Amino acid sequence: MSIASDLIRGHTDTIILAHLTREDSYGYKINKEIQMDTDNQYELKEATLYTAFRRLEGAGYICSYWGDENTGARRRYYSITAEGRQAYRQLKKEWEEAKYLIDILIKSKEEREDQNGR
Amino acid sequence: MEDKLRAYMDHLFRDVKPTKKSVELKEEILQNLVDKYQDLLGEGKSPEAAYNIAVASIGDMEDLLAGLKKEELGGSPLDNEQIEQGRKKSAILISVSVMLYIMSLLPPILLSDTSYSDRLAPALMFLIIAIATGLIIYNYLSQPRYYKKDDSIVEEFKEWQEQTDSSRRARKAISSALWSVVVVVYILISFWTMSWHITWVIFLIGAAIEGIIKAIFELKR
Repeated sequence: MSIASDLIRGHTDTIILAHLTREDSYGYKINKEIQMDTDNQYELKEATLYTAFRRLEGAGYICSYWGDENTGARRRYYSITAEGRQAYRQLKKEWEEAKYLIDILIKSKEEREDQNGR
Repeated sequence: MEDKLRAYMDHLFRDVKPTKKSVELKEEILQNLVDKYQDLLGEGKSPEAAYNIAVASIGDMEDLLAGLKKEELGGSPLDNEQIEQGRKKSAILISVSVMLYIMSLLPPILLSDTSYSDRLAPALMFLIIAIATGLIIYNYLSQPRYYKKDDSIVEEFKEWQEQTDSSRRARKAISSALWSVVVVVYILISFWTMSWHITWVIFLIGAAIEGIIKAIFELKR
């Protein structure tokens, strides 16, 4: 789990951008959705999440605004920009390529032989 | 328990200057923690367990806080540029005024053999000195200042601090200008009258004037 989460952490930006392509959202909601999507197997640390928000906002990929909520809790919502969508597509493409290459590179001997038709 | 979460966040942010940005970030993360805490209670966790899980989920804040601190120090690129411009302007003003102080001796020297020497020459000299002194004072007073960014008490305090600071700065400017003038007057009067044995009194007068200026500033405050 800890090794897997290290791997996933490298893609925090992509994960956040992916959530924001669906709708404007705030920190806790994104994290909760990540938890639900992964069946409680993965969850971002607050520190990781907000560091990523600041980085993405600095790069102009997302922008933020304070939502008006009647319940009293004032939340900062994040919204993806056009540059953010472009960056998301690029990051996703890079991941697909990396996944394809890694799959090839980490095949065991048996798997290779299987593929060669023996 | 929510107060405990707030206290915990205050503790995490204790070394960070309370700028608008850092306070907002703190509020944002705190709101996030409170939401999580409430959800955990809803799942049937005890308040202590919910608090512990919420706090444990924060993770390592070092990088985030270090980023905030760095921003504080460096400021935005625009601010740096403004400061740089202010510095250049101030350097030019100081150089020009020092040049004027030196040049103020020219009228008496150049006009010494003409019929203007007793009236026009000193008048010109003091005019040039006045301009130079004015430039120095203007330079000190027009240096970049801190204006409050929002209506929070912290910002008001900073502005107040800056204002008392600027009155101190004005006093320093006047005092440095005063001493340059005293030196110039001393040299000129000494050469004029050649009574070096007594002209040193001018320095005592200068000290007295500075004392009066100090007193005026104290009274104003």
